[in-house]
Amino acid sequence: MNLKIDHLHTDYLNDISFELNDENVVILGSNGAGKTTLAKAIVNLAENDRVSCNTKKVSEMSAKDRSQLLNFIPSKLEVFDEYIDVREFLELSLLNGTAEKEIERVLSLLEITHLENKSCKEISSGESQLVLFAGGLLQNSELTLFDEPTANLDSDKKIKIFELLKHTQSLKMVITHDLNLAFRLGFRVLFLQNGTIAYDGSCEEFFAQENLYWLFGDSIKRVDDFFMVNYR
Amino acid sequence: MKMLVLIGALMILSVSAFIGETPLEIHKILNPNAMEYLLFWDLRLPRVAVAFTSGAILALGGLVFQAVFRNALTTPFTLGVSSGATLATAFGIIFLPASLIAFSSLFSFFGAFSTVLLLFLFARTLNAMQTNSLLLIGIALSFFYSAALIVLYYISDLQQSYSIIRFTMGSLNVVGFASVYAVIAAALILLGVTLKYRHELRLILTSYDNAFLKGVEIKKINLILLFFVSLSVGVSVSVVGPIGFVGLVIPHVIKLIYKQSSDKLILPVFFYGGVFLVLCDLISRNLGTVSEVPIGVVTSFIGGPFFIYLILKRRKNHA
Repeated sequence: MNLKIDHLHTDYLNDISFELNDENVVILGSNGAGKTTLAKAIVNLAENDRVSCNTKKVSEMSAKDRSQLLNFIPSKLEVFDEYIDVREFLELSLLNGTAEKEIERVLSLLEITHLENKSCKEISSGESQLVLFAGGLLQNSELTLFDEPTANLDSDKKIKIFELLKHTQSLKMVITHDLNLAFRLGFRVLFLQNGTIAYDGSCEEFFAQENLYWLFGDSIKRVDDFFMVNYR
Repeated sequence: MKMLVLIGALMILSVSAFIGETPLEIHKILNPNAMEYLLFWDLRLPRVAVAFTSGAILALGGLVFQAVFRNALTTPFTLGVSSGATLATAFGIIFLPASLIAFSSLFSFFGAFSTVLLLFLFARTLNAMQTNSLLLIGIALSFFYSAALIVLYYISDLQQSYSIIRFTMGSLNVVGFASVYAVIAAALILLGVTLKYRHELRLILTSYDNAFLKGVEIKKINLILLFFVSLSVGVSVSVVGPIGFVGLVIPHVIKLIYKQSSDKLILPVFFYGGVFLVLCDLISRNLGTVSEVPIGVVTSFIGGPFFIYLILKRRKNHA
């Protein structure tokens, strides 16, 4: 799949251009740098006409076609009706030919089968993050954009999500603050700063010492293959 | 609980047409020459039918509005749609020549529909359907319409202002089935459309972003749903006048009884909305007052306290 962002401007983003050809990408950047805005603009949740997918403008696609190509998994689960339970929520993601029995498989894969009949409003933030992730797997669009998929999770679950991001087939764009996750995923890295792309390149080059120092100063310290916040 | 309510509802529906100020001898209602025949077939039955279908429209309209506008307080009534219809009808009563007075129903529909369009425009400017601002705008609109209505009272003559007052109080007094068919048709169309878009409605009940990502053409679906709600509310208001509270109370009550998401409550809300208005009408007809108590008074008298009771009970259960 070819995804092209051509001189995108929004309230928070300033002249963003890049292209993806059948590749995964990690988006890094400080708070308020415009990561989520970029993801929302790509799926056209933030309306614009600068994004095209396989040479067709996303803004001109039918909602159905768009949902097959692109999906966005937000960092928070929002459900208005208190009586919609987790299973019902996931059933709504069965749209690209995924069979209903897949729900059970995905639930047990993420170890959240016990949440099946709970209201989406009753579960914890970590649990709801897993439910959202499950929805993403079920919808199985060609490219899925994950907004901080591991932010509220315990370390077991973080590893699980990492493995799924690393080894599942479909294309991914992962927004994260977790440098260790970004490093181990090994995807191409886009680093956003104040609404512009400050770095676009391979994972190895991104995590080279000079580059890290240039972007983060001494707030990040590398110890072996791990990246620590340097609390002074 | 559900079963008990259903049995009660069916009982109300089946006896309603037989109870009234004039007692009916049942065997006479099939005799075309008896007074009872006329009373039953031309007055009581149409009245029950129009009460049922109007209640159904108002309740289902409330359910749809609450889902689309994301607020538990939105109904065609609170957003000013009914008062828009009332204002337009009053306009028709005053300015239409007496021979065309039957067309005031059309005015009522246009009043309802143009109010919805106006709300839509405001919602677009606010760039979100889910804000409370829209509810506030609806309330402001209602006040504006009320003021305009008072201006109309001033320029109308005695006969006209009497007609308008009768209209605003709401009345299920219909003779024969002619106008009733329009309300029945409107109710069935609204029910059909809502059922057709049940899946989209459920997605909208999660969040607009989620519905968008799952391939719902949100603007189109919202427009269709709101169009048919205002169409049917417009038809209902034109026949029975504005009746408040049904659209607010019934969806919430049914939700508390069924404990299911709104997309599964389309049929129960439609049915019990109808039953509720039939019950209120039954009471208003049998209070033994000189003239009937206006239906809107009864809906609020019964609905209000019951609604508050349910809300308090729910808070207790949650705590």
